[in-house]
Parts: sequence; structure tokens; C-alpha cells
Amino acid sequence: MNVEITDLTRRFGRNLAVAGVSLETGPGVFGLLGPNGAGKTTLLRMMATVIPPSSGRLRLLGRDPGAYGPRREVRRRLGYLPQNLGYYPGFTVAEFVEYFALLKEMPAAQVPAAVATAVERVDLGGRARTKLRTLSGGMLRRVGIAQAIVNEPELLLLDEPTAGLDPEQRVHFRALLRDLGQRATVVVSTHLVEDVGAACSQVALMDQGKIVFHGTPAELTARGTERGTGDAPLERGYTAVLAAARS
Amino acid sequence: MTAATAPAAPRPAPTGRSARRGAAAAALGSGRLLRLELRRNAMLWLLPVVFALFWYNGYREIMALPPMWNLRAMSLQNRLLFDLAVPVTAAAAWMGSREGRRGIADLVAGTARPRWSRQLAGWAATTAWAEAGCLACVAVVYLMTARQASWGGPPWWPAVVSAAGVPMLTAIGFAAGAWFPGRFVTPLATVVVFFGLAFGTQAASGDHSYWQISPLTAGAVDIGAAPGVATFYRYLPDLSIAQVMFTAGLTVAVLGALGISAARMRWLAVVITAVGLTAAGTAVALAGTGRFDPHGMIVIPALHNAASDQPVRYTPACSHTPIPVCVHPAFATFLPAMTAAVGPELTEFAGLPGAPARISQVTAVYRQVSGNGITVSGGGTSAAAFVVPDQVPGWLGTTGGEFAAQLDEGMGIQLASDMILGGDGQQSASGPGQAQLAVIAGSVRFPSSVESRDLAPLYGRLLPQPGIPADRAARRFAALSPAARHAWLAGHLGCGARCTGTGTTTARSRCR
Repeated sequence: MNVEITDLTRRFGRNLAVAGVSLETGPGVFGLLGPNGAGKTTLLRMMATVIPPSSGRLRLLGRDPGAYGPRREVRRRLGYLPQNLGYYPGFTVAEFVEYFALLKEMPAAQVPAAVATAVERVDLGGRARTKLRTLSGGMLRRVGIAQAIVNEPELLLLDEPTAGLDPEQRVHFRALLRDLGQRATVVVSTHLVEDVGAACSQVALMDQGKIVFHGTPAELTARGTERGTGDAPLERGYTAVLAAARS
Repeated sequence: MTAATAPAAPRPAPTGRSARRGAAAAALGSGRLLRLELRRNAMLWLLPVVFALFWYNGYREIMALPPMWNLRAMSLQNRLLFDLAVPVTAAAAWMGSREGRRGIADLVAGTARPRWSRQLAGWAATTAWAEAGCLACVAVVYLMTARQASWGGPPWWPAVVSAAGVPMLTAIGFAAGAWFPGRFVTPLATVVVFFGLAFGTQAASGDHSYWQISPLTAGAVDIGAAPGVATFYRYLPDLSIAQVMFTAGLTVAVLGALGISAARMRWLAVVITAVGLTAAGTAVALAGTGRFDPHGMIVIPALHNAASDQPVRYTPACSHTPIPVCVHPAFATFLPAMTAAVGPELTEFAGLPGAPARISQVTAVYRQVSGNGITVSGGGTSAAAFVVPDQVPGWLGTTGGEFAAQLDEGMGIQLASDMILGGDGQQSASGPGQAQLAVIAGSVRFPSSVESRDLAPLYGRLLPQPGIPADRAARRFAALSPAARHAWLAGHLGCGARCTGTGTTTARSRCR
């Protein structure tokens, strides 16, 4: 298992953002669904080793990220796209991706080729020398994805990756996700249930800091046949599970 | 987005490689990161501002100084870091606050390279550009001075102190930006550093002041860059060493403090910070033990090398006047002005009994008095030795006329009084007579710019009081032709004794 989470919690003052989450997942695309404030981003930040958990056990890629050495090893094999992507407007696309390749301690000799490949995979090859300040929001999102995948991560964490992408790009992105999921564990946090349906082999639904559903998209869809509301079958499953959890 | 053709980016072997190869790979990675930071560094864009500020504020004034290495180099230290302070601190604070301002903290926090290492790369790139700007300014001043100076070579310590101050500025700015990443940190850090530097130069008082540690202070606070300092004797590096130790210590301490928040390296960061603070504190303490050297520089006993006290060898530059005037070659550019100022006196006294064979410049003797006060005195009491006034043309706005007046007040009167009254020990106990004063006053050609108040200290001692008969006699003597004055002096000084008459109506006093 690339991700092993046992009874993980995270507090911010009095607010319990993640309340005892347990989860295991191996290679493949794992969808993390949930309403606003459910704790998805906090869970992803803990998995990205940006913040430590308040309690519980977290093992990533077979290592304990609580210790410095293993955490550094995990980070070398990790790709992370946060919900709000900050960027340096004066950098070009290639420079920004190269910057993160170097911060991930990729072997310097491999960096140029890896950068070129990552930029091509998000269809920004023609804009590699373009300054980030001139790019649209959707293109910036793709730059963020490129920096996340530049090191061929074994664990890829994507927080709202398709926000701002046009429909065509979303279709392309789902294909990319499926491809990446063949070799790595990809955790995608999203509001867009159609992304989950199209790309994820596993899905978890969070609400109020807890996992209220864990299964396949098909199983989630099946939950929506009785009392769910929504336009799509998966949406109905989503709303049905949430309603059940809150009742 | 392309799902196919996953890149073959082989992962580094986690273990089993030699440590040397690993270190080389890490160095290569750090080098690429530094190159990237250099390419996209705010300091690069502020270099034109650095050059403009330096040209406007420092370069023009430095180049207006006489072309003497000591003056130009010490003034460079006084000014360069001050001119760099605003753009360099601003750029460093801007770069330091970059992650916070751009909301990229989460993204970089999840990367393998430690935060400290990442920050040091950004700081190093900022420092490299700032240092390049600093050294370019030094190079321009030194190259221009090399073309103009008549003697000697560049004193490097002032440039070293300025160069060592640059990393201090960038470290302070960068750390402020990293710790308080907001839009206001850049102007705030800049203002604090600017006024901190300015205050450091104003607070020093005397040769024991701890504030001498300010990297803007070159030499003694009150005189700083003076023509007579570090000319006859070497440039003493004592204070410069303490200043470099201070700036380097502060730089290390601030950079060390940046790493304290990293849990893994906290102990190392604390040790580095402590070492830096100790070095900086020691340097301040050393500056407080300084004492003013008679040759015009600050000596710090613990850092002083006695070998530096040996006078510098030189071949004097001499004028082709009836009585040759010989000066240190660093002053050779002033020789025409000197001979023009005292030329009439030299011609008048040449060949007379007791006239010196040549007049040689000797080193000034400096002495610290209360506060920042410093007195400058000559090295000899005879006309054969004189001290060139520190107020040479071009130094702090001194004009050629003012320089000539000072020479006449010093060298001219010294020569005349020596001829009329005799050398050491030959003056009568009762002091000079009025006739002697009249002849002295009539022999020296004061330029029109000399005012009565400038000569007041000499009245009654070497010059007659204005308005008295001896003063009128002096005017009549001065009105004679040079040949007539020379003949008169030859006749009266040639009798084997100096004129000691007490006549009040004429300079033609009796010879004993």
C-alpha cells in the first residue's frame, strides 16, 4: 500500500478539520469527494507532508513521514498540486517546472528532459518559454500539474486539479490521470463528480472531517438509486451518502 | 494533455552510490537552482538603480577629490555601502518575502530540498548580483584613479569592507522578508537599514567608540579620508579587519537564524547563529579598544601588526625652483600649485645666508583630542621641513586660492621667519622685534583671499599688529621690487647675524 492512514486527526485550534480518518490505497486513481469544509484539503496537506497530523498514524510509500529522513525520501517521490497554486510571474513555464524538479532533488542531469516531458504532457510545449504572468487561469493550472508530475511521482496528490480547465482539457486530463494511475497512486480531491466517474478506480467521500463512504464509483452510484438528488447517477449517489451521513 | 509516452526519468538509486558522486550530484543540482535564481532575481533589475544612485551620490564626489588613492578609496568606503543600502535591502526583502507573497509556501513545503537550502539559494543569487554591482562601482573608481594618481596603488581594505557589507545587507533584507512576508516588509526593512547605517556613522565619538564598527567608517571618525593619512605610512587594516569580522558575523548570524525554524537542523542553525553573533560582538568590542595613531589611522592593539608601522619608501618629487620644494610623490599633482603659491618667497630668499638648500614635505602628526576633535601638527620647526595642509585643492571643496593661502600662512611664513629670526633656538627670549615682524610680513605674498582674521593668531608673534608703524613699514617693504627686497635682505642678512632691530618707522633696521 502506498498510502496507509489510521485514525488520522488534525486540529486547528478548536476546529477538528480531520476527525479520525482511516484509509488505505495502492496504485491507481483515488477520488476524494466531499462538500466544502469537509476536510479534503487538510487531509491532502497532511499526505503532502506540508502539515503534520495532530494524532493518528500516517505511512506514505512504506515510510513514516514523521521522521526527517523518510519524509525527505517521500517528498522526492511525491507530486503535489495545492488548491490555490501560487506561482512566480517572472518565471517561464519551463523555469517554473524546472524549479520544482530541482526542489524535489531530481538528478540535475535528468532535469531538462523531465521538464520538457512534463510540459509536453500538459500540452504547454509551445509555451515553455512563456512567462507565467501572461498565461490564463487554465494554463496556470496545467503548469501546476506539470510541476507535480515532473519527477514521475509514486504518490501524486491533486487538489481540485480540473478547476479552470476547459472541457477539452478536462477530457485530456482525465486520460493523463488514468495513465499516471497505472504506475502511481494518484489521489484527486475534487467537487466534480464526473471527474471521479471518468478517471477513478476508488472513491472516498468526506464530510465533517470523516470518511463517510469508501468504495468504487459504481458502488457510489448505486447508493443514489433510492434517495439521491442530482442530474447524474454519481451525483445522486454523492448526495444520498451525504444525506445518510447527516441524518 | 498527453497520456501516452510516460517519460523515462530514472529515479536515483537510493543507496549504494559513492558519497562523492552523491555530493557532486547535489552540488550540480544546487548549481542549477542557483542559476535559475540568478536569472529571475529582482536584484538584477535593480542594478541600474544601484549604478544611478552611486553615480549621483557617490561617484561624482569621489572623483571630485584629488587623485590620491587614500582619499578615493576611503571615501568610497564612506559612500558605497550607503548608496547600495536601499536597492540591495529592498531587493533582498522582496526576494525573501516571495514565497509568502505569492502563496507558494504549501507547494514548496512539500518538496525534498530543505527550506533553509532553498532560502540560501535565493539569498546567494541576490547577493551575487548585489556584489557584482558593488564590485563594478569599486572597479570604476579604482580604474579611474589608477589613470590619474601620481603615485602608489589601491588600498584594498576599504573595498573589502564595502564588499563584505553587501552580504550583510542582503541577509538582513532577505531574513526580514522571509520572516514577515507582506507587502510592507520591503519598504520597512529598507528604511530601517538605511537609517541604521546613517545612525552608525553619526554616533561615533572618539577613537574608543564602538560605533567605529560601522562599515561606512574609514579611518578616524573626524578626519576619515585625509591626504596625509596612509600616505607616508601604510593603510592600517586594523579597523577594516574588525569591520569585516562584524559584517561577516552578522551575516552568518542572520542566515543561521533563518534555519532555526527547521526542526531537523535547528541545532546546527543555533550553533551558526551563535558563532556569528560571537564574531560580531567580538568585533564591536575590538573596535572599542581602538586608539588614534599619530599617522592618522585607528590602531586596534589585538589586531595590529607592528610591521605596518614602517614608513613607506618613496622618491620625492621636487620642483625646479630656486629653492627646490620636494613633496611625497602622492602630492606631486599639487607641486605646481605649491610653487606658484610660495614661488615669490622662494625666489626672494634663494641664495641668502641661512636659506635652506631644499624644502621637503614631512608627515603630519595627528592627535585625538576631546570627542571627535583631532589636531594636525607639523613634523618639524624649520623651513626645511613642512607639512602640506590636508585641505588640498578639491578636498571637501577646498579651492586653489584657499590652498595657496594656507601655504603662505604656513610654509611661506615659516620660511620668512626662519630667515629673519633664525632657526631653532636663535630667537631672542624677548621675542621678535617690530622691524623683524615688518620684514617677515613684507616678504610673504599673501593672496588677496587671505583675510585679517585668518592671520590673527600670528599677530605679535610672526606678523605685526595691523595699523601700527611696523605694519605700515611692512607694506612699504612689500612695495619694493623683488630685486630690491632681495638686495636689502642680502645686505642685512649677510652681516652674519639676523636683523634684530627695534625700529618702528622703517624696515631698514640696523644690523648688529
